[in-house]
Amino acid sequence: MSWNDDGAGRADATGIEHLDGLYSYALVLTRNHAEAEDLVQETYVRAIQAMGRLRPGSNMKGWLFTILRNVWFNQLRKLRTGPQIVEIEVGDGIASSVVEPSKDSHDLYVSKLEAEQVRAAIQELPAEFREIILLREYEDLSYQEIASVLDCPVGTVMSRLGRARAKLRVLLSVRLEGFDLPGMRSAK
Amino acid sequence: MKGCDNYSTTIQLYLDNELTGQELEDFRAHLEECEACRAELEAEERLSALLHRSRPLYFAPDALRERVLQAAESSPAFIPYSPVGLRKRITRVLARPLQSASHRVNNWGALVASILLVAVGLLLVPGILRQSSANSYIEAAVAAHRSFLNGNLPLEVQSGSPSVVTAWFAGKVPFTFHLPSSAEESGHEQVYRLTGGRLVNYKGEYSALVGYQVQQQKISLLVASSRSAVSAGGEVVPSGGIVFHYNKRANFNVITWSNHGLTYALVSSLPGSGRQSCMVCHQNMGDGDHFSARQ
Repeated sequence: MSWNDDGAGRADATGIEHLDGLYSYALVLTRNHAEAEDLVQETYVRAIQAMGRLRPGSNMKGWLFTILRNVWFNQLRKLRTGPQIVEIEVGDGIASSVVEPSKDSHDLYVSKLEAEQVRAAIQELPAEFREIILLREYEDLSYQEIASVLDCPVGTVMSRLGRARAKLRVLLSVRLEGFDLPGMRSAK
Repeated sequence: MKGCDNYSTTIQLYLDNELTGQELEDFRAHLEECEACRAELEAEERLSALLHRSRPLYFAPDALRERVLQAAESSPAFIPYSPVGLRKRITRVLARPLQSASHRVNNWGALVASILLVAVGLLLVPGILRQSSANSYIEAAVAAHRSFLNGNLPLEVQSGSPSVVTAWFAGKVPFTFHLPSSAEESGHEQVYRLTGGRLVNYKGEYSALVGYQVQQQKISLLVASSRSAVSAGGEVVPSGGIVFHYNKRANFNVITWSNHGLTYALVSSLPGSGRQSCMVCHQNMGDGDHFSARQ
C-alpha cells in the first residue's frame, strides 16, 4: 500500500502515540472492551512485523488504522459473519467504565457528563457512521486518507460523513439539552 | 444566487479543509453575503467543537499499553531507527551464505559483524523505546511552554503561594504533588517567582503546568505521572540523588527528571546550557553546590 507523506503522519519508532486512537477505533468497530484490546494488540504485532517494509516518511497513522480494520474484517470473515460489520451489543457501562480524568472547572474542558453523552450517541450510530466520525473528527484524517483506510472512493467518504454528522446531530439533540442544532436540511 | 441548499456539501468540505483554489475563494465570497450559510457553518463548527472536546473518544487501558510495548520489545523484527540501507545490507549479508558455498568463507567476517549488529540493536530496543517516550514528553513540555508564552495556555490559578497552587491542583491531577516553598521562605535569595498553574493534557491524563518568572522571563514546569512520562537521554547529571537530563529543543533548555513517581520537565530560555541554566536560580541557594560541582 502506498501512503503519501503529509508531514503529519511521519513514521516513528512504534506508533505507540496512536494507541488511544486505535483503541477508540477498535471499540467503535467491536463495541466490546476485550475484543478491542485484542484487536489493538494484534494490530501492533502485525505492524511491528511489517515495519521494515514501511518506507521512510510514510503515513504510519493511516497505515496502522488500515491494518486494524483489515484484521477486524478478517476475523469477521473467519467467523462466517460475512463482509458487513456485525452489530455487537455494547457491554454494560461501556462509557462509564472508561477511566476519565478528573473534572476541571475551566470552560475549555469538556464535562464528564457531556463526554459520556457524546460517546453514547456515537455508539448508537450504525457501524459505518461510527467509524467515519472517529476517523474524521477524532483522528483528523483527510478524505483521501479515510478513503484509503475504508478502501472506498473519496466521494463515498464525503457523502457518508455528511449523513453520519446529520444522524449524530439528531442523536445529540436528544441527549444534550440545549445543544444548538445545525439546520436539518442535510438530515435524511 | 445559487440556492443555499446546494451549499450543504460545500460547507462540509470547507469545515474539513477540503476546499482549495477557486472553490475556496468562491465559497468565502458567498459566506460574506449569505447569513443562512454562515449560521449553518457556525452550527456545524459547534458540533465539531463538541466532538473535539471529548477527544480522545476512549483512553486505552494501561495494561494494553504495557502489552503493546512488551510486544514491540520482544519482537526480533523490530529494529527502530536503524537506517533502511543498513537493514538491507544486513539482510543481504545474512542471505549470502545460503546462496553460494564458494562465498561462504569470504563472508564469515561480515556475517559475524552483522549478527553482532542485530544483537546490539535488539539489546538497545528497550533503551530506544524509553528514549522515544522521553522525547515525546520533552516535545509536549516545549509545546505547552510555547502556548504558555504566547497566551494560548493562560494560567487557571494565579498565585505566588506554593500552598495555594498546590491546593488548586489537589484532586484535579491523577497524582499528588507539593510545590516546594519559595527560596525566600528558605532563607535564600529569591531568584524565581511562582506565578500559578493550569491543567494540560498529556497522553490522555491531566498533568500540571506550573508557571514561574525568572529575570523577566517565563519558565514552565510540566509535572506528569511517571507511568506516562519518562526522563531519559540528553546530558545526564546526577545531583542530590536525582538524575537530571538536559536537552536543547528549538532555543529552549529542557531539564527533565523523575522523582517519587512523577516526571518533571522544566522549560526555559535562560542563558547557558545544561547545568548552567540551573545555576541561574540555584547558585546562591543551599543546593547550589549540587549543580556547580558535579560533572
